[in-house]
Amino acid sequence: MATENPMESMAWMLALDDRLRAAVGEHELIHLIEAPTLLDVPLSPHYCRRAILWNDLLLPAMDLAAWLWGREQPAQPTRKLAGVVAYQPQMGAAEYGVLLLSDIPARTRVSDTQACKLPEQPTGWRDLAISCFLDAETPVPILDLPFIFSGGLLTAR
Amino acid sequence: MSQPVRNTLAELREIRALAKLTLGGYPWLLPQTEIRSLESPLDIDREVRAPQGIGAIALGGEWWPVYCLSGDLRLLPQPPDSRGICALLDNGADRFGLLCDQIETLAETPRLLALPACMGLPDSPIQALAPLDEGLGCVTDTEHLAALLATLAEGADGH
Repeated sequence: MATENPMESMAWMLALDDRLRAAVGEHELIHLIEAPTLLDVPLSPHYCRRAILWNDLLLPAMDLAAWLWGREQPAQPTRKLAGVVAYQPQMGAAEYGVLLLSDIPARTRVSDTQACKLPEQPTGWRDLAISCFLDAETPVPILDLPFIFSGGLLTAR
Repeated sequence: MSQPVRNTLAELREIRALAKLTLGGYPWLLPQTEIRSLESPLDIDREVRAPQGIGAIALGGEWWPVYCLSGDLRLLPQPPDSRGICALLDNGADRFGLLCDQIETLAETPRLLALPACMGLPDSPIQALAPLDEGLGCVTDTEHLAALLATLAEGADGH
């Protein structure tokens, strides 16, 4: 996350569905697609069954709510946004992925003093998140994008 | 059965001609050189059955087991009415028939894109994806389909 001062960073708050919230760093969310064209990819995991063509790149469309709840989510008319995120793998250039969202992301300032424990439920947060902060008394996990998009979820749990 | 090695994108891009096999609405792309012949479903002898197959076709003095797969490659015991043509696939080591909705040769090799790492289940036969007018085509080959069929047949026998 970009540092505003030694104790603060900016982040994007993401709505993964109507209940689950998560965050990424300010510079990790780079584009928002309204009503994205989702392309089916057979034999892919239930939480990542579709992909998006964006700028000549094929990006996996990750439904983290489906992974966290352990089942494919029914088509929700409210989940009509795709957030294109950039992440830096351990080696090599920046790579991109898509998070399916149910609402427009909100920018927020996060202080180190807001650090808190990960939510206990759903249990999968332990795999997805690198840390967590409190926002209005609600824990908001910060997503580990390299782990999520490098195939880490295929072997988690 | 050991899993076949996944070819690199560079190796796949050397394939000169791809055939599009439509299964349950999903386009699957295979090297055209692996299609030995196209046969009518009427030529399938339903009395000659391999495990989980729907019958067999006689060609060149041999029986070729024929399978029917859904768009996401599940075994279908009963072919849907839409399956109008059978491709006999042969890579020199594996030989079998696949009942398809449609088969056509692509006039131009489409742009091949890597399957994203987070989408590739360990036993996935998809080696690459190709944007087509109707969606994404899945690039595979006879070896990967044969391995999948063996796995599916083992699974079916176990239940």
